[in-house]
Amino acid sequence: MSNLKRKINNMNLVRFRFWFQIVAFLLIVYGGYIGFDLGNKLPTFACVYNGDFTGGKCYLGMLQHDLKHPWETFLGFAGYAFLISLGIFIGWLWLLNKAWCGYVCPLGTMQDWITAFRTKLKIRFSQYDWSSRAKIKPIKWILLILLLIIPVMIANSVFGLPKLPNGLSMPFCDICPGRMLIPAFTGDFGQFYIDFSSKTDLVMTTLGMIIVGLFLIGSFIKKRFFCYFCPMAALQYTFSKPALLKLYKDGSKCTKCGDCYRACDMDILEIADDVTSKNLVTEDCTLCLKCVAACPEEGCLEANFAGKTIFESTKEGFIIRMAMDKKGESS
Amino acid sequence: MEAIKIINSIKDDFKSTIQSMNYFYELFEKVYCKNEPLHNGKTKIGTMCIQIPSEIIYALDGVPIRLCNGFYTDDEIGSDLLTQKACPLVKATVGHFASNNFTDKPDIVFSPTTCDQKTKAGAIVKNFGYKVVDVDFPRTKESEGSREYWRKSIKQFAVELSKFKNKKLTKSNLEVSIKKIGYAQSLYHKLSEYRKQEIAPILGVDMFLITNAFFFDKIDSWIEAMEVLLKEMKTRVDEKINVAGKMSPRIVFTGSPPIFPNYKIPLIIEQSDALIVADETCSSNRMFNDMVAVDEWNLYDMIDSISDKYLKACTCPIFTTNDDRIRRIIDLVKNYKADAVVYQAFAGCTVYEMEQRSVLDAMEKAGIPILYIESDYSPSQQGQLSTRIEAFVESLKTRRRNKNR
Repeated sequence: MSNLKRKINNMNLVRFRFWFQIVAFLLIVYGGYIGFDLGNKLPTFACVYNGDFTGGKCYLGMLQHDLKHPWETFLGFAGYAFLISLGIFIGWLWLLNKAWCGYVCPLGTMQDWITAFRTKLKIRFSQYDWSSRAKIKPIKWILLILLLIIPVMIANSVFGLPKLPNGLSMPFCDICPGRMLIPAFTGDFGQFYIDFSSKTDLVMTTLGMIIVGLFLIGSFIKKRFFCYFCPMAALQYTFSKPALLKLYKDGSKCTKCGDCYRACDMDILEIADDVTSKNLVTEDCTLCLKCVAACPEEGCLEANFAGKTIFESTKEGFIIRMAMDKKGESS
Repeated sequence: MEAIKIINSIKDDFKSTIQSMNYFYELFEKVYCKNEPLHNGKTKIGTMCIQIPSEIIYALDGVPIRLCNGFYTDDEIGSDLLTQKACPLVKATVGHFASNNFTDKPDIVFSPTTCDQKTKAGAIVKNFGYKVVDVDFPRTKESEGSREYWRKSIKQFAVELSKFKNKKLTKSNLEVSIKKIGYAQSLYHKLSEYRKQEIAPILGVDMFLITNAFFFDKIDSWIEAMEVLLKEMKTRVDEKINVAGKMSPRIVFTGSPPIFPNYKIPLIIEQSDALIVADETCSSNRMFNDMVAVDEWNLYDMIDSISDKYLKACTCPIFTTNDDRIRRIIDLVKNYKADAVVYQAFAGCTVYEMEQRSVLDAMEKAGIPILYIESDYSPSQQGQLSTRIEAFVESLKTRRRNKNR
């Protein structure tokens, strides 16, 4: 047992994650071919526009759909449907917590591939400065609130305002880069379009096209560029506290060396500087566990599943991962 | 004289000597008693503090020589050049330059602007006619600004050294040297693991010699000597050879760095039947504890990682706050099952003197006995110091006995 534990702690996390992400990507994007289907309440961007091929569907689409009901129906059966869907979503979320982002999300995986491509070209990554980083933090919450409110405002007149046009029924999907990029992997490029049929459609589809462009360029420049703005991350965080998978930190062992912060694709400062909190799953965390792999202090950071440590930082693991366990060439 | 006395004292005053320590005893004898140079034909890069990255120096085919000095004779020379009240380490370092008595004379010196005295020392040494380059170092480490500032400083340092050596810093030569130093550090960590055990296989003074050798030794020979030593450690642990007594209190040493041959306090501690099991000083643990962690093995990320290692992880008292240092000491006490802490501050080393109170308070809160000692390089206070240390060790033994009961 302790041998297995040591093996896990010494593993090459980057390689493990690379292959895990590929398998997850194949299942989510092509799973439909082999009848694989995880349902339509997944806490990850399994795109509904991918048609029959998708191995599951994103809950954000379902959520927008669930909320587009007049008050009367919503207080009746539609409300129950909404609660059941939400319950299933939370169930999925509690299983993997935000690791859905770091290990499963096809959009996240695509960004990591773009990052790998950039690294191959030896081009430096960019970072936000701390104040800009703080400023963009609320954007995902604003997007989440909009995607919650807009469907309600289509079906109802809120505060006496006129109802919104039906063209907005899936407001987030319209602008989500997943709608265009994920079906493209199954040969469907049909989502790359601008819809001139109405003003709303024109605006939303144009916005969508712009965001795809930004997604591709942005994630080349900044690691996990899109995740900073992702409303799914905000929704997940709302329910993440009781989840089974956790990232724990023992602050008394932390030297604040900042190795974890530098490894973090989301530039989460707390991971290095917070020495009092135990649960370090913050709102932007994708639970990729790169921080655990980069931590040189024995047992300072750990991935914990249902109270059991499954992967923790060790000096030995760090040294092996940095290839410092062998003498190497002599000068 | 100073040097050989200390070497002999370490060699002869203790039981169960480690065979492979002879490499280090001979090394110090060669360099400090016989003045035999180690690095003929190599470019020697003098560094005035821990913060100048050896990784970059080795990558550019230089040899880092850390010039922090522990000789009383040099301290006396320095006293005439600086104020009498200055830190003995700085005085001795400046005195060393003034006397120009180098076994391996540095071709260029990089001086990080760490504490006030070191900062000024750089300029004084420059006046003696040495080539000294200042490397800007920030005095806070929490802010974004200081991180960026230091990264720029390190880039500037790399450019300067690259020009001086007329060699280009590349991804491959830097990666090789990062991993080599990382490997050397990993050996230190392996050796430290043994010190956590109940039966202690190695003395604290031996450890200080080993880490001190890293200041100037050929890195490949140092690595080899460590590998041999680690093998011997393993057999010693299997044979349960203890360098200390069963009741010897275990000490974590912190504060102003013991640098050869100024091992006065560590020696008295261990001659008084206590054992230093860990330390938090820049001549030893702090040099090895943190390794460079790179995420993208390209030049840009390697240089930033190196910069961060020398700033973020550093627990030097020159920084504004010292919570990291306190946490570190407590963690060492816990991990190495230590009974107490000994805090050395050189008279004149203002930053360590000023941090004394906060550390003492924190230790009291944590229930860890601590002895604060002000010392200097002079050999004269011996008697008074050993009385204090012996009394402290005795009190620790009593404490242990009462606990066992």
